[in-house]
Amino acid sequence: MAVLDIKDVTKIFGGTVAVERFNLTVADGELVCLLGPSGSGKSTLLRMIGGFETATSGVIAIDGEDVTRVPPERRPTGMVFQSHALWTHMNVFKNLAFGLKLRRLPPAEIKDRVEAVLEQVGLAGYGQRQTHQLSGGQQQRVALARSLVLEPKILLLDEPFASLDQHLRERLREEVRDLQQRLKITTLFVTHGQDEALALADRIVVLRAGRSEQIDPPDVVYRAPATPFVAGFIGTMNLIDGVVEGGVFRHPGLDLAMPVADGPATLAVRPEALGIAAATSAAAVIHRVTDYGTHAIVDIDLADGLRLKAMAPDARAWAAGTAVALSPQAFAVYRDNVAIHRAGA
Amino acid sequence: MIIWPILSAIGRTLWLPGADGVSRFSLETYVFFFSDQYSINNLMVTLWTTGVCALLLLPICLPIALYLRFAKGRLAAYVQGLAIFPMFVPSIILSYAIIRVLGPNGTVDLLFNSVGLPKIRSPYLTPWGPVIGLVWDNIPLTVLILLSGLGAVSDQSVEAARDVGARRWAVLWHIILPRITNSILVAISFTVLGIFSAFTLPYVLGPAAPEMMGPFMQRTFRDLNDPTNAITQAVISFAFCIVFGLFYVRSVAKNRKT
Ligand SMILES: Nc1ncnc2c1ncn2[C@@H]1O[C@H](COP(=O)(O)OP(=O)(O)OP(=O)(O)O)[C@@H](O)[C@H]1O
Ligand SMILES: [Mg+2]
Repeated sequence: MAVLDIKDVTKIFGGTVAVERFNLTVADGELVCLLGPSGSGKSTLLRMIGGFETATSGVIAIDGEDVTRVPPERRPTGMVFQSHALWTHMNVFKNLAFGLKLRRLPPAEIKDRVEAVLEQVGLAGYGQRQTHQLSGGQQQRVALARSLVLEPKILLLDEPFASLDQHLRERLREEVRDLQQRLKITTLFVTHGQDEALALADRIVVLRAGRSEQIDPPDVVYRAPATPFVAGFIGTMNLIDGVVEGGVFRHPGLDLAMPVADGPATLAVRPEALGIAAATSAAAVIHRVTDYGTHAIVDIDLADGLRLKAMAPDARAWAAGTAVALSPQAFAVYRDNVAIHRAGA
Repeated sequence: MIIWPILSAIGRTLWLPGADGVSRFSLETYVFFFSDQYSINNLMVTLWTTGVCALLLLPICLPIALYLRFAKGRLAAYVQGLAIFPMFVPSIILSYAIIRVLGPNGTVDLLFNSVGLPKIRSPYLTPWGPVIGLVWDNIPLTVLILLSGLGAVSDQSVEAARDVGARRWAVLWHIILPRITNSILVAISFTVLGIFSAFTLPYVLGPAAPEMMGPFMQRTFRDLNDPTNAITQAVISFAFCIVFGLFYVRSVAKNRKT
C-alpha cells in the first residue's frame, strides 16, 4: 500500500516559479505519467517527491505521512535518473548491493535479493560486469534494478530512456510497464514524449509552465483535451481561432453551427475528424497531399494563411490546388482556456 | 633535456677531481652527507615538514573543494576566490605577512596581550613556521586539483547514493572518495615535490638549524662555496622525489587497470 498525496505544492527558484499550486493523488499501484514541454516543471516535481528539492510551500505525503521536509536518504522512494547515475567504480552487483549494505542486511540475503532483481530486469548473470561493459539499455536496467532492490513504496523515473534510440525505448517502456504491474508499485514517470505517456500511463498529468492543465486517463486526454494547450500538445490537432455569432462559429473559409453563446472561441479538430469535399469557393485550397499508403494527409490553406491537416482514405482522390469545403465531424470548442462544447465522437 | 643535467649532476658527485687533476670514482660526498649529523637532521626536518604539510593539506583542502563542488550560489564564488587567493601572493610577501601576524609582537600577540592573555609561543623560526607558510601557499593548487577530480563525480551519482539511503559520510566514503583517489595522489605528489625544494618560506620562516634542504643547498653552494656537496644534497633530494614519483605513477597505473 502506497498512496502519494501532493497538496498545493509550489516551488520557486529565485525568481522562477517552477511548479505552482500543484495537486495530485496517486493511488496504490497506479502509474502516472508527467507530460509537458521542456521547462514545464516535470523534473522539479519529481525531485520534490524524491526529496532532492524542498517545496517552497505545500505538502507531500506518502501513505498519509508528511515527508515534505524529509531528506532523500530517509524517504521510501526510489529514483531512476536520466543517465550517468551508476557508480562506475563498482560492478553491477555492488551497485545493487550498496543500499542493502547500508541497511546492514546479512550478505546471504543481499546476494539473494540482488540476484532476484537482476533476474527481473533480464540481467541474470551480469553481476560481475563493470558498468562500462554494459550497453545504454542495460545500464538503465541496472539503474532500475538498483531502485527496485530496495522495494521502494514509490518509484520515480525521470525520462529514464531519453538517451536511448526509439526501438530500445519502446521495448524498455513495455518492460517497465510489465514490471510495474507485476510488482504493483506506485510509479511516477516523467516524459516529454506523448506516445510514451499514452502507451504507459494509467493517468496522464499534462504540465504547462508549472501548472497542471489536465489530469486524466490517456483516452480522455486524447479524446477530450481539457484546454487548447492539451489539445495541441497531444497528437495532431487543428486549432482554429474564430468568433461565434448567432450560434455560428466563423473563420475565413470555415463556418460551423454550434450551440454556443456569442463571443471569441477556439475550434479544435483532429485531422481524422475533418471531412473535406470538393467545392467551388476558393476559401480553402489544398496545398499538398502526402500519401502514407494506408491513408493520406491533406494540407489545406485557408484564406488567411492558416494551414489545417485533414486525413483522407485515398490520396488519389485529391490534388494540390483543388478548392475544398470543410466539415468537422467531431470537434471541441474552447473559450477562456476551458472546453465549452464538444460534438461528435 | 631533463635527464642530461641530472646524469651530469650525479656524475659530478661520483667522479671527484683528484689532486693531480684526474677524476676518480668515489662515494665520499654521499658518505659525508649520511655521516654528518647536521645533514641528516636537515634531511629529516625536510621529510617531517613535507609529511606534516601533506597531512594537513588534505583535511584542509578536501572540505573546501567539496564545498566548492556541491554548494551553489554566490557564497561559493567568494570562497573560491579566497581559496585561490594565496596563489597570487609571492612567497616573500606571504612570509612577512605571517611574521607580522604570528611572529613575536605580531597581531595575534598584541590581541592576546590586550585581553590579558600570555604571549604565544610564536611558530616563527621553529619548524612550524615553514609548515604554516607552506600549507597556506599550497592550498590553491591542492584545492584546484581536488576540484578537477570532483568535477568527474556527477550530481546524479551523488543523488542516486542519497536515494538508496546513504548519509553524508557514506556518500563521501563510498561514492566520492573512490572516484577522486587519483586526484588526491596527484595533489599529494605536487605538494611533496614542491615542498621538498621550497626555498623562500623555509628560509625566512624556519629555524637556522636544522634547516630544510632548499636553504641548506643554497647555503652550501653560496656561503660555503662547496658546489660538490650542494649537488650531492640536490641529488639526494631528487632521489626522494623520484621514489615518491614512482610510487605515485604505480598507484595511478594500478588504478587504471581496475
Ligand atoms: N536548480 C534550479 N535552479 C533554478 N531554476 C531551476 C532549477 N531547476 C529547475 N529550474 C527552473 O524550473 C523550471 C522547470 O524546470 P524542470 O527541470 O522541472 O523542467 P522539465 O519539465 O523537467 O524540463 P525538461 O523536459 O527540459 O527536463 C525551468 O524554468 C528551470 O529553468
Ligand atoms: Mg527534466
